Amino acid sequence: MDVLMDEFKEQHPGIGTVKAVPGGSGQLLEMARRGELDVIVTHSPADEERFVAGGDGIDRRPFMHNFFLLAGPEDDPAGVTGAATPAAAFKLIAEAGARFVSRGDRSGTHVRELAIWREAGADPRGESWYQESGVGQGPNLQVASDKGAYTLVDSATWTALEDDVELVLYVTDAEAPNVYSVTRVNPQEHRVNEAAARAFADFLTSAPGQAVIEGFGREQYGEPLFIPGDFAPEPASTP
Amino acid sequence: MDLIWDGIREAFRLIFTGNGEVYEIVLLSLTVSGAATGMALVIGLSMASLLAFRAPPGRTLVLSFLNSGMALPPVVAGLVVAVMLWRTGPLGQLHLLYTPAAIVVAQAVIATPVVTALSAAALQTLHPRLRLQILALGASRWQAAWLLFREARLPLLAAVMAGFGAAISEVGATIMVGGNIKGSTRTLTSATVLEVQRGNFETAMALSFILLALVYAVNLYLTVLQQRRRAS
Repeated sequence: MDVLMDEFKEQHPGIGTVKAVPGGSGQLLEMARRGELDVIVTHSPADEERFVAGGDGIDRRPFMHNFFLLAGPEDDPAGVTGAATPAAAFKLIAEAGARFVSRGDRSGTHVRELAIWREAGADPRGESWYQESGVGQGPNLQVASDKGAYTLVDSATWTALEDDVELVLYVTDAEAPNVYSVTRVNPQEHRVNEAAARAFADFLTSAPGQAVIEGFGREQYGEPLFIPGDFAPEPASTP
Repeated sequence: MDLIWDGIREAFRLIFTGNGEVYEIVLLSLTVSGAATGMALVIGLSMASLLAFRAPPGRTLVLSFLNSGMALPPVVAGLVVAVMLWRTGPLGQLHLLYTPAAIVVAQAVIATPVVTALSAAALQTLHPRLRLQILALGASRWQAAWLLFREARLPLLAAVMAGFGAAISEVGATIMVGGNIKGSTRTLTSATVLEVQRGNFETAMALSFILLALVYAVNLYLTVLQQRRRAS
């Protein structure tokens, strides 16, 4: 996000002060609902659609994505190796009562995780093997590694941290990519800087903005962390 | 502004409707920060006594370190403790990372310089001959220490309050070594951070008020203790 902001400011020298407020999708959506933000970048599609449907947001544009992955301990206590879908793997985890670490923070990853549990027909809440870490994606992966637990992680975080954790990948969530969207706050409902918000949304979906996304992480990790463009689910590629 | 009133109302609701999760969090915050303050007190009083009464060589140097330690950024303390407790770290075998014990250690590291530096300053204000006199009257070393602590109770209790305040208000190190795990390492401060991330500003505000009330209750008790004895 810092790289994108720098490029945006370079392209729009007259835009004034731009402040990026980092935060979880839940926090940003709630702040936007209160008219505290001009434009938001989030990755929680259902919540974003509710935000737009409620009249507080307009012009939602998906502009990049990556994938959710199920990571877990090497010895695979729930036997999820070979599971075709995340839901099938979650079902095995629930049946085995194998440890699972959830972020529990209403982030995009947490929302997707809950959807997978529903799909798997399991309700892990309150189970002793199900723990809520309450921390961001990176620290959450560390907690799961420390506890020898399964967890859902996005592919960018995984690529950046895989060498630091004692976990391996099991399933790629090919059905629902982790989609990042830019949504403007409705200028008819809230007092916002409409021109700047539009300029930022346009930038993220423009060729220069997309080029920044395409190149991000390529040098350090040998592969991009995010895939630019409106998403079209790709064939399951195991990173 | 509405948020602040809603927060206060929500705080009362959480407390009086017997929300089990909130009680659990309050209890954990109190135990963890209490234990950390206790540890800081044991280490701090011993070190402060040594520095004040024995005047070891290099005392000024040590005191300058301790005084700087009061400004030790909690996140630095958290990072160092976390690295020590990593599986690959020197204390990894203890498996303390992401447990309440890890938070106690991190908060103790933060509170110890505060308690030590303030206690040393408190004990140094006592008349240097007082200790000799007490010992000359036949008191054992422990009795002498106890009498001297009593004599300096006013600033010493202030040191305890400062140490407890540093511990319970801490959040960066707490999350780093504790992980904010529900039902295990979630404290009032880390729960507040989480509710903000979730966008539940009202609940976050409520937890903040509960924390403030708790801190006030503890300090009220300590202040009464401090002032009552003074009056007698």
